[in-house]
Amino acid sequence: MNPSEHTNGHLGTAAPSGRALILVVERDPHIRELEAYFLDEAGYAVEFVGDGASALDMARALLPHIVITEILVPKLDGLALCRAIKEDPALRETAVLIFSILAAERRATEAGADAFLMKPLAERRLVETVRGLVAMRAARTRP
Amino acid sequence: MTADLYPRIRTGNPQADDVLGGGFPSNSINIVMGQPGTGKTIFAEQLMFANTHGERPLLFITTLSEPLTKAVSYVQRFRFFDDNKLGDQIQYHDLGEALAADGPGAVVPWLTTVIKASGPKIIVIDSFRAIHDLASSAPRMRLMVSDLAGLLSAYDVTTFLLGEYTIGDIERYPEFAVGDGIVALARHPLSSRDERFFRVIKLRGSAYLEGQHAFRITDRGLELYPRLVSPLIPETYEPLLERVRTGVTGLDAMMGGGLWSGSTTLVAGPTGAGKTTVALQFALEGVRRGEPTLYVNFQENPAQLRRAIDALGMRADEAIARGLILRYESPVELQIDSIIVGIFERIRGGDVRRVVVDAIGDLAMAANDPQRLHDYLYALVQHFAVNHVTSMLTFESESGATTSAELEHRFSNMSDNVIVLGLGGEERSRRTLRVLKTRNSGHDPMVRELDIAEGGARIV
Repeated sequence: MNPSEHTNGHLGTAAPSGRALILVVERDPHIRELEAYFLDEAGYAVEFVGDGASALDMARALLPHIVITEILVPKLDGLALCRAIKEDPALRETAVLIFSILAAERRATEAGADAFLMKPLAERRLVETVRGLVAMRAARTRP
Repeated sequence: MTADLYPRIRTGNPQADDVLGGGFPSNSINIVMGQPGTGKTIFAEQLMFANTHGERPLLFITTLSEPLTKAVSYVQRFRFFDDNKLGDQIQYHDLGEALAADGPGAVVPWLTTVIKASGPKIIVIDSFRAIHDLASSAPRMRLMVSDLAGLLSAYDVTTFLLGEYTIGDIERYPEFAVGDGIVALARHPLSSRDERFFRVIKLRGSAYLEGQHAFRITDRGLELYPRLVSPLIPETYEPLLERVRTGVTGLDAMMGGGLWSGSTTLVAGPTGAGKTTVALQFALEGVRRGEPTLYVNFQENPAQLRRAIDALGMRADEAIARGLILRYESPVELQIDSIIVGIFERIRGGDVRRVVVDAIGDLAMAANDPQRLHDYLYALVQHFAVNHVTSMLTFESESGATTSAELEHRFSNMSDNVIVLGLGGEERSRRTLRVLKTRNSGHDPMVRELDIAEGGARIV
């Protein structure tokens, strides 16, 4: 599926390139670099932010298709960020992927996350999960 | 947290996997250390060829200690080598040029590029220690290693850093602090050959078998013999209250009706006293009763032993066909680890009921560490007991030194029964047998005459 197929205003803000936008909340520089590379290769636009509170502000401003967040991020942890996104009507179509060093799938599900992946980063698993979330979101919002 | 979250990387050697608790945890950083010639590169290459399943490549990266061409050319001599796996599945790279140009600072950017380009499952860097020689300062090297650990932990890759490290380097070099696993290979020269040992020093978050495990390098790669440890005695374990016939006429009567099943009997005596005859009769009695019997022997070669069996009233071929397993090991090439582990593997197979080791003194001579031999034999005897295997160990005592104190000191404490053979009379032509000790059984303590004639030994 071409990621740019799902980028109209209702379904999330497209990046200037027309690609689906992913907001990544991550502090580890190596994870950031590799996520940026592999998601870009897969056809997505990626924005990074280093803490949960800033991520919530950016999400409200950018309306990304997907937020990928570590749980262990400052100011607002990834699970609290997930709950805040799910409670915000403006972000109801934004999918959340918890991508963490913690084995916390159950807690992620309870927080309303749409998917959970455990680190380390495996590009195929990451990209396939992101594709699945984009497809799921598109199906959910199709008129 | 489940084991599935951390699958294991197998080494290509099942025994090494046993020592490592199943293999190296995936996504770990491991250091394989040892002096030149200890087998580090072979170990790593064997591991790589055993892990080519899946679509992601495995990278062997040389630095400055060995040219890439050498690493590739030597591996072809091993059976695990498969040239079909080179290229797509196993890729050899040379980091040396980038290091020569930019020093240790080249490592992380270079590897980041490689990870982005090929998404490797395993990375081997040989030699990582050599990179230290290019470092302008220890702090810079420490920062590089920290950055490298960050990269290798962020990505789903299992890493092996090989190096000619010494034990003292563990406290000196930063890679040991970030390493999840440390494995040391060592080589100790003996009089006419070398002994090699494999030791796990650290394996974070995983149980492993401690201690030194002997290994050999063959055309199959590393062949490892895990150190034998005493079995956990199951709570449900109960000795079998059955008597096992010795096959020596009159001896069972001296020992309360025979040996207890699962017991170990030490038969000691000087040369010519009849130890091998008694031990062979014990083995053949097992064969007659349909009990598979393992006979491990270090002195008589197979032809000599066959003649000795023929003289005891059963043809050797028939004995073998009926369950006698003969294992001959030259005392010159004797390596106690392989012998003991070989016996243990047979026992673990489940069908052997009797074992003879003739003679444990040969094992003692082959062992450079008497305590190690003692520990091995003790563990083996415990495995015999738990598996209801009745065993006989022969021991050649020096003439005139067959004292209970000597035997007690050396091997009798691990034996349930001790039988002492002697030579007396004029020109030491009269053979004697005395039961010195039986555990949980009464016995005849008198010195009895042992007659050896056609058909074997018997108590007169």
